[in-house]
Amino acid sequence: MGADDEVKIDHLPLSFEIPPENEDERSKRLEIEEKLLENPNKNIPLKELCKLALSDYGLVNDDLRRILWPQLAGVDVHSLERAPTLDELQSHPEYNQVVLDVNRSLKRFPPGIPYEQRIALQDQLTVLILRVINKYPNLRYYQGYHDVAVTFLLVAGEEVAYAIMEQLSTTHFSECMEETMEATQRRLMFMWPVVQFEKPELFEFLQRSSVGTLFALPWYLTWFGHSLNSYKDLVRLYDYFLASPMYTAIFVTAAILLYRADEIVKEDCDMASVHCLLSKLPDDLPFEDILKTSSKLYDKYSLTVIEKKVEELIRLEKEQRQLEEKRKRISRAAASKPSYSASKTWFMKILTPKSVIVTTAISIVVGVCAYYYKNQYLAPGIS
Amino acid sequence: MTARNPQTLMALPAEENFDFLFKIVLVGDCCTGKTSILQRFKTGNYVEKHGNTIGVDFSMKTIEIESKQVKVANNVGPNPINVAVINSFFWEQLQIWDTAGQERFRTITQSYYRANNGVIIVYDITKRSTFANLQKWIEEVRRYTASNVLIILIGNKCDLEAEREVDFEEARQMCQYIPEILFVMETSAKENTNVEDAFRCLATELKRQHDVSNVQELNEQTVQLGQGKPLKSCSSSCNLT
Repeated sequence: MGADDEVKIDHLPLSFEIPPENEDERSKRLEIEEKLLENPNKNIPLKELCKLALSDYGLVNDDLRRILWPQLAGVDVHSLERAPTLDELQSHPEYNQVVLDVNRSLKRFPPGIPYEQRIALQDQLTVLILRVINKYPNLRYYQGYHDVAVTFLLVAGEEVAYAIMEQLSTTHFSECMEETMEATQRRLMFMWPVVQFEKPELFEFLQRSSVGTLFALPWYLTWFGHSLNSYKDLVRLYDYFLASPMYTAIFVTAAILLYRADEIVKEDCDMASVHCLLSKLPDDLPFEDILKTSSKLYDKYSLTVIEKKVEELIRLEKEQRQLEEKRKRISRAAASKPSYSASKTWFMKILTPKSVIVTTAISIVVGVCAYYYKNQYLAPGIS
Repeated sequence: MTARNPQTLMALPAEENFDFLFKIVLVGDCCTGKTSILQRFKTGNYVEKHGNTIGVDFSMKTIEIESKQVKVANNVGPNPINVAVINSFFWEQLQIWDTAGQERFRTITQSYYRANNGVIIVYDITKRSTFANLQKWIEEVRRYTASNVLIILIGNKCDLEAEREVDFEEARQMCQYIPEILFVMETSAKENTNVEDAFRCLATELKRQHDVSNVQELNEQTVQLGQGKPLKSCSSSCNLT
């Protein structure tokens, strides 16, 4: 590491640019600031706070988020634990993996941040992550977890970020932190019934392309933190998710698909093209509209109905796969044993219902003729 | 032909003209440089610290491949068989799936192995553990891909000679015991060593394999050794390659 390490990042750097506040944002900010003054200890009742976080522009800016995110996550900022040092956590088996990922997370730090400060923050990020998985041995670290953690670290600071991550890891992200990703994979499929109910032709197109759900995996695992190119959108989404029930990211995903439907169905219907299109989020997504759609979808469809549909989809997929494998096995067997299969297919061709009827009819006719012949010509001779 | 839209990194329409399409998947331990290698191959650029890959990323690139084909002109009549070697050029589109290295994502990425023609397994020459894990990757590839998949092995970061922990000779010897591996090559995504070559060699082999399997299919329809077929069903342009 050194001067040459100075934030050389991806082709699509995260834009930290915050455009000047517009009129609506200003009034929203004033509304929140007023509420903060009204309430003792700057606490806003949870119901009201959720409403603020969900509605247009969310919590507006990072100063307000610093105060309100812990409240939204249900974290008491007055009883925070002291952060251990990095040395205390170095023996953790995941230590190397976490350090590798944190070192590669440059994209998530504001450009122009002094080198020393960034290194210090990265160390804090490593500690934060290891603390959580150290405390909950049943939770497993996944690549992308650090994308969530860094968002809270940069806004709320080390201690609060830890408390929030602890809270989220045992709720929203607990499924993702299981031993395997199977549950997550299944959860991602929850987007399909929603799309199917809303736009059957889009659903049919996506199924036909066999694109799968992996394009949305980073979205779900990082609350879009890994995939968005605008910091402003990113923190806005975090306002929304913090105030929303679990699995909401799935509904946002469905809302994005529905919003892009016209564009999607114009693409070539193959896995590669569709995956390519879907996995790159356009920079101009109207997130306020998408979040509204997402909330509407969440209210409209019950998770039980969706789950039933998903089970059906999984069953269908399995059947199809088995059928395909069977077909492959048969064609492979045919290729390896040409003579056997040739005679078999010849025989099968002969054995059609029509041929059976014809053969039977001919035998009966021959029998009748023989009987007649015998009676007609042979009988007098004998008698 | 390699023009790309810098925003979406999607291929421009010119890229869509190709003769063959092959699918390749990049696997290997975390931080061995899979994404860097792919970026170098695709865009020619190198990014020091990439964000990690979550699940799979996808890229494609169309390259021109020279192919030598042996053509049998005619074997009917009194003339001896005329054999001609024809050099022809093809545009091959490579569709490359770049997978996450973390073990946790394996169950997910496995489903992307299935339809692939080629696999590139990457290890880091400065990290012994990534080499030791090759066996695991090979088993994984064996289990989830078609039997005729072509595998190449890449030892990345060969610019870091001072930190080398795996000798090239060692990798080469290991490959001798694993028949599926076509070849091993050391690359440096940072200094652009052998990256293009590795993809090119694999692409050439894929094309060759494609030709051979086509011929085999033809042969199946024509003559099976030891089985005999009526002469009239053997076409006059029997392909003897």
